Amino acid sequence: MDSTMLLTIYVLMWPVIVGGTLFMICKGFFRDWVEARREGRSII
Amino acid sequence: MTPEAEFYQLSGWTVILLLVLFYGGTLLMSTLIGKKKENADGYMTAGNKVGFGISAASMTATWIWASSMYASATSGYTYGISGPIHYGLWGALMILFIYPFGKRIRKVAPKAHTLAEVMHARHGRSSQLMLAGSNVVGSLISLTSNFIAGGALIALLSPFSFSQGIIVIAAGVLLYTLWSGFRASVMTDFAQVVAMLGAVVVIIPVVFFSAGGPDMFAQGAANLTPQQSNFFSSDAFLNQGAPYIAAVLAYAIGNQTIAQRLFAVREDLIKKTFVTATIGYGATIIGIGMLGVMALYLGISPSGGDTNNLIPQMASTYLGPILLGVFLIMIIGALSSTADSDLAALSSIMMADIYGQNIAKGKANPKTMLMVGRITMIVATAAALYFASGQMNILDLLVFVGALWGALVFPVIASFYWGKVTNKAFTVSVLAALAVFIPVRFEWFPMDGATGIVFDVVSVVGIGVVLGLMSFGFFGLKAARIIGALGALVAAPFVIGFLHDYTVLTGSLVAYAVSTVICFAMSVRSKQDFDFDLIKQRIGDYDTDPETEPELDATAAGTAGSGTGK
Repeated sequence: MDSTMLLTIYVLMWPVIVGGTLFMICKGFFRDWVEARREGRSII
Repeated sequence: MTPEAEFYQLSGWTVILLLVLFYGGTLLMSTLIGKKKENADGYMTAGNKVGFGISAASMTATWIWASSMYASATSGYTYGISGPIHYGLWGALMILFIYPFGKRIRKVAPKAHTLAEVMHARHGRSSQLMLAGSNVVGSLISLTSNFIAGGALIALLSPFSFSQGIIVIAAGVLLYTLWSGFRASVMTDFAQVVAMLGAVVVIIPVVFFSAGGPDMFAQGAANLTPQQSNFFSSDAFLNQGAPYIAAVLAYAIGNQTIAQRLFAVREDLIKKTFVTATIGYGATIIGIGMLGVMALYLGISPSGGDTNNLIPQMASTYLGPILLGVFLIMIIGALSSTADSDLAALSSIMMADIYGQNIAKGKANPKTMLMVGRITMIVATAAALYFASGQMNILDLLVFVGALWGALVFPVIASFYWGKVTNKAFTVSVLAALAVFIPVRFEWFPMDGATGIVFDVVSVVGIGVVLGLMSFGFFGLKAARIIGALGALVAAPFVIGFLHDYTVLTGSLVAYAVSTVICFAMSVRSKQDFDFDLIKQRIGDYDTDPETEPELDATAAGTAGSGTGK
């Protein structure tokens, strides 16, 4: 793998990690919301 | 879009529409969770049982601010490919390294609202006010910096002026935060984090491929110096990375916005929340920093010689009008989410530390408390607008304050674990550290010859303290002693003789060393053995009106009401 390819991966890996984290946060928020609805209270 | 100077601008109506959508949406969210009678404790910590999704979103959104995006890109442009790592990674570790201490703080003070409030219960007024004072200065600087960043961006990308920009942003943030306080801040953080992180996922690849994709690395390699193209650049480490490593715990301890989230999240979710926020912040800020690296490879010069213009410049050059609008929302989201957290932090310090404990002395009226919180938000916004209108370089001040916080780290952390630490040891050690830090930081005397060597040796002690404290949270006292001592011994031959040339780093390390040595020396002989169970008794809910009790904390309502000042 040449340096150009390594640098390309280095630049583009961050948005992929960001996307994964965003998915985790959204999943957590959805669970919070479902739990709050089930217990009949506000999410916060 | 109309071209002006080097920047493509969005039309006035487009910017108005985007701002109305953004601030209208956040106001709607805060209205949906608003209550006619807000609870004073909920206004500060949202009931201490916030779930993972909102907490992780809030911690991520709060720590990502416009200035951190600009600084990461500047670091990439200045130091090359490792630059964004040396900005974003250490900034992310500020979130990670505080959580073990956060778990301990929650254990001894489950109902606290601010870190300074716990210091009052542990030591007394002088320690509390020193910590609260440093928190207020930090939050006010951060608030001002965010207003400046917003005003500058609106002036760059729209026909509106800087002054119009800061007024719109200040009004927008105040409007949705004022009524529900911290609850509004964390709730809107979720929408803001979706906007910010979603924009990063799209914008970085689009700019990368629009700017030529992988070819830019082959064609632009000549634009980099050997240090800039080296992933293990010593230049980047010493100028950008090392001062930030020293500040990892200082920023976390000195910032009420982190403490507030430590007290708000459900106790069993602290680790999960803070690890997620570490990854979210780190990847976002390092990713945005890649825009600076790309600019370096492309041979782009920052507009007006100001590296803060790099990100807007790259966006306006390589993004179409729709994505430029998304970019504007990303920056507005970043600065608003931090500004609302600063307002919530400032209001809770004034509510709990000033009114609750020093004016009402444990007999606080919840209604008055809420009024104090809301008035604080209005006054803080006005003050930040006044400072922002001068367009001073406020970030330099924040870097200075961040290094200053190093003086507080050991006394604050030791106070949560070691019963022997006294109020006198805390106060004297912090003041002594500041007295040494300031002349070193501002080079009030020459560092030639023996003087420089003496401060290098003190800095080596500081290195040991920093590494020891960072290890202590995760691995305990024995491991911390070994890692701290080993770190100092290994660093000594490399740093003695030249470290004093780096005054920012030396000042910070000296602050750590002096406060630690004095605090330890004064405490180790003390006869005091503080009972940490007293803190739980001294700090409780201020507002136990069943009508306003936070819904998330309904189960605890029966046991609440210990108030303060027992």
